[in-house]
Amino acid sequence: MVSYIIRRLLYAIPTILGVLLITFILFNLIPGDPSYDIAGKSASAETIAEIRRELGFDKPRFLDTEALSQGRIAAAFDSQFFNHFRNTLTLNFPRSLTSHEPIWDEIKSRAPASLTLAAPMFIGLIATSIAIALVVAFARGSWVDTILVFICVVGMSIPMLSYILFGQHYLAYELGWFPILGYESGMQAFKYIALPCLLGIASGLGSYVRFYRTVMLDEMRSDYVRTAFAKGLSSPRVLFKHVLKNAMIPIITTLVLSIPFLFLGSLLLERFFSIPGMGSYFLDAFNSRDFPVINAMVFTTSLLYVLGQLVTDICYALVDPRISLR
Amino acid sequence: MTEAALTSDIAVGKGRSLWADAWRRLLSRKLVVASLIVIAVFVMVALGVYAGLIARDWSEPVGPRYQRPSLEHGFGTDFLGRSVWRKTLYGAKISLTVAFLASLISICIGLPLGAIAGYFKGWIDELIVWLFTTVNSIPYIILILAFAFVLQGKTLFGYPLRGISVVYLVIGLTSWVGLCRLIRGEVLKHRDRDYVMAARAYGCSRSRIILGHVIPNVAHLVIINFSLRFVSFIHAEVILSFLGLGVKGEPSWGVMIDDARQELYRGCWWQLAAATLAIGLLCLALNIVGDALRDALDPKLRQGLE
Amino acid sequence: MNDLLQIRGLCTEFRTEDGLVRAVDGVSWQVNPGRTLGIVGESGCGKSVSALSVMGLIPKPSGEIVGGQVWFKGQDLLKLTERQIREIRGNEIAMIFQEPMTSLNPVFTVGNQIVEAIKLHQKLRTRDAWDLAVESLQRVGVPSAAERVYAYPHQLSGGMRQRVMIAMALSCHPAVLIADEPTTALDVTIQAQILELLRRLQAGERMALVLITHDLAVIAQIAHTVAVMYASRIVEYTSVEALFDQPLHPYTQGLFRSLPRLGQKKRRLDAIGGTVPNPLAFPSGCKFHPRCPLGCDDKRCQSVEPNLRLIRPGHVLACFKAAGYEDSPPCDIPTQAPTEVSNG
Repeated sequence: MVSYIIRRLLYAIPTILGVLLITFILFNLIPGDPSYDIAGKSASAETIAEIRRELGFDKPRFLDTEALSQGRIAAAFDSQFFNHFRNTLTLNFPRSLTSHEPIWDEIKSRAPASLTLAAPMFIGLIATSIAIALVVAFARGSWVDTILVFICVVGMSIPMLSYILFGQHYLAYELGWFPILGYESGMQAFKYIALPCLLGIASGLGSYVRFYRTVMLDEMRSDYVRTAFAKGLSSPRVLFKHVLKNAMIPIITTLVLSIPFLFLGSLLLERFFSIPGMGSYFLDAFNSRDFPVINAMVFTTSLLYVLGQLVTDICYALVDPRISLR
Repeated sequence: MTEAALTSDIAVGKGRSLWADAWRRLLSRKLVVASLIVIAVFVMVALGVYAGLIARDWSEPVGPRYQRPSLEHGFGTDFLGRSVWRKTLYGAKISLTVAFLASLISICIGLPLGAIAGYFKGWIDELIVWLFTTVNSIPYIILILAFAFVLQGKTLFGYPLRGISVVYLVIGLTSWVGLCRLIRGEVLKHRDRDYVMAARAYGCSRSRIILGHVIPNVAHLVIINFSLRFVSFIHAEVILSFLGLGVKGEPSWGVMIDDARQELYRGCWWQLAAATLAIGLLCLALNIVGDALRDALDPKLRQGLE
Repeated sequence: MNDLLQIRGLCTEFRTEDGLVRAVDGVSWQVNPGRTLGIVGESGCGKSVSALSVMGLIPKPSGEIVGGQVWFKGQDLLKLTERQIREIRGNEIAMIFQEPMTSLNPVFTVGNQIVEAIKLHQKLRTRDAWDLAVESLQRVGVPSAAERVYAYPHQLSGGMRQRVMIAMALSCHPAVLIADEPTTALDVTIQAQILELLRRLQAGERMALVLITHDLAVIAQIAHTVAVMYASRIVEYTSVEALFDQPLHPYTQGLFRSLPRLGQKKRRLDAIGGTVPNPLAFPSGCKFHPRCPLGCDDKRCQSVEPNLRLIRPGHVLACFKAAGYEDSPPCDIPTQAPTEVSNG
């Protein structure tokens, strides 16, 4: 088990390095020198030099050839490229351009709020989808199935923004069932995340139910299901014991695919409901063109995604006896 | 040996080509035909907008501000007294343009990369796999926003990137991974099949084998993939425009939703409803056709008798 | 109805995207304790569907039994409720399938799956059920069964998995075992072992066996009576001796001609010309006439479908061209089969 995890972690290294390369290209190569952008048109030469120094843009881009020729090996690698890798990998992000706070501290302080929203949304979405998919699979071929599938397709055709806007306006503002926006930490948080959570689940339900239904129906067509029926088992028994456990294999492998949906959900929901999480941090950084923050967020979320994949692989191996962890 | 005599498959619908058969299957279902008509109508509207025949004067006020939907005002008016109906029609142009061009870019990147990776294997394959694993490990929305952020206001070959061009470029550049992976897997399966071996034995060049033999055999996957992917492109355009990273100065559906956000608190729900309805209807039709295409073109999914 | 299991005039249809398919069309057969009925035919001829109909395992809602009766111990299974038929299924009538690779659930141990069947039909404590599972694995010749019960299907070979399937099917001592191509997916040597096992178990338990196969060699080894199916119908039905002695239907004759024989000087085997007809568009008249070597130019063969007639004692046949067919009485089950009279 431990060796499996270590091996999987080793596989992740090229991916992480690739992400660093992409962020370097995105934030250092393409934009060129952002100092003028940041300082504004009327900034003095000193201000710009200050910003350049702070962001490390005064350093050579890849390699300090001058230092190298003088034999100062360590100094030669004091370049934008290597600093980017070193600083990002050690989570030693620069300060935010707007708040001037260390980015990593900000991320840490905002993570709990994001998690408070995303975790129940994730669990609720998966559990509800599996439950509905089981019902639909049980009623396969009947009009209940047809209608539910159609509702699912309608549900996934409507953009998430519409769910959020309509939900927030009618359920919170007009009917007053939920607070319109805001957030408090601790137990009070549940009052505030209830509606965003529900809206997140509602907007994702269509595609999830439809996908899980396909998975279950594929399983129901397989030979072992026929064997189970031939034994004399009842439909619910076949469904809940035999089909569900087999369906969990493809379901678990695709759990990691829901991470992007969670990010999107968090991003929009946090913004609309003023939840001080990582999503709203990211969007705020966007509006203020705070690119070190964006860079840090790209890297952190990728890291989370890669970790999510690792957890998925381990769960996968735990469910499917055909996969050995060695 | 008895098996050779006894087992021969029931070939239902043999003698028809895959495409003709698929087309016949599509047309045999009323819902699919209705969806195709809906899509055709949206495409016509988009072309009409391009030709200046439809919604040309969308920016002109047609009445007082914040008018409810009525016979007189159609879908109602927005905060400047403009017709929501015209804006909705105009939005079809933006949406379809973005989805179409993004698909084109995405196919142009994903198809060759996938085919090359699958056909050549070895280090080229590993490099491409590494590339798409890396791109894939950045959550889509973050990646797309970061790209939009960086590309905004830059120039590409002297062509300034702003508004709609950023949107389709960003979506296209970030969404090729799924197709690339699909094509790679399929080409890996096909490259050792007999017909490719035969082509190789005849002395066909590699590019000829890939272009002339392998790609036509995986083309249906491209179609299935994109009929379903179109929907996510349309949704991505909405989000980008809504966040102010996309279309500006033109009424895309995302811009309409953004406008509607302010109006909602005055009780003006119609602009949001119109945009939602337009997106929902188009995406519903695309989803239905995409599913039907997948069922029709992917013979593996067809159920046998025994 | 003194017979253990008898199906009469069974019709099963499937709705497909391209239209209605009648996969089983008026099929009748019967089987008695200690006897083996072989059903032989090409894939897609309806032999498996007829067996699945008996079990009530036709995939719904696309498939439906539209006519006929299935008599088992004096009751019509088609008239039972789902709950009643579940008590018979796996308990009194068990079934094993062609693909031992996929017919076992990959995520449960084989012991778990056998115990599930045992506990469903017998009031046993879990520990006793596990003991019984080990015992039934031993009975089908699984070595070191006490450890193998904890194995997952993928850890066993194909032959072992089929033994597990048989152990599972026989764990409740069924009166009838339906084996749908039980050896097709296996190597030839394993095939022989499994057939021998089935024969031994059947003799020991006086169980009725319905064996579905496309392989005449399998029929020759194990069956007492044989029903030959072609395009959803039975075309010839008699004892195995009579069939191998003198096959009467041109289709059956074609099957025999396509078998390789030792000592034969012919370089090529005779295959039956043409292909299996499309079930959506069966030919009119005798469904075999387009492929029939006796001449498809006969007007009657092209327009009228021959029914089964008792052409000789214990031998029913559906072919206009057979000598004496015209004068024979209609009969769909050869009840006075010579072997049945002498041995049974």
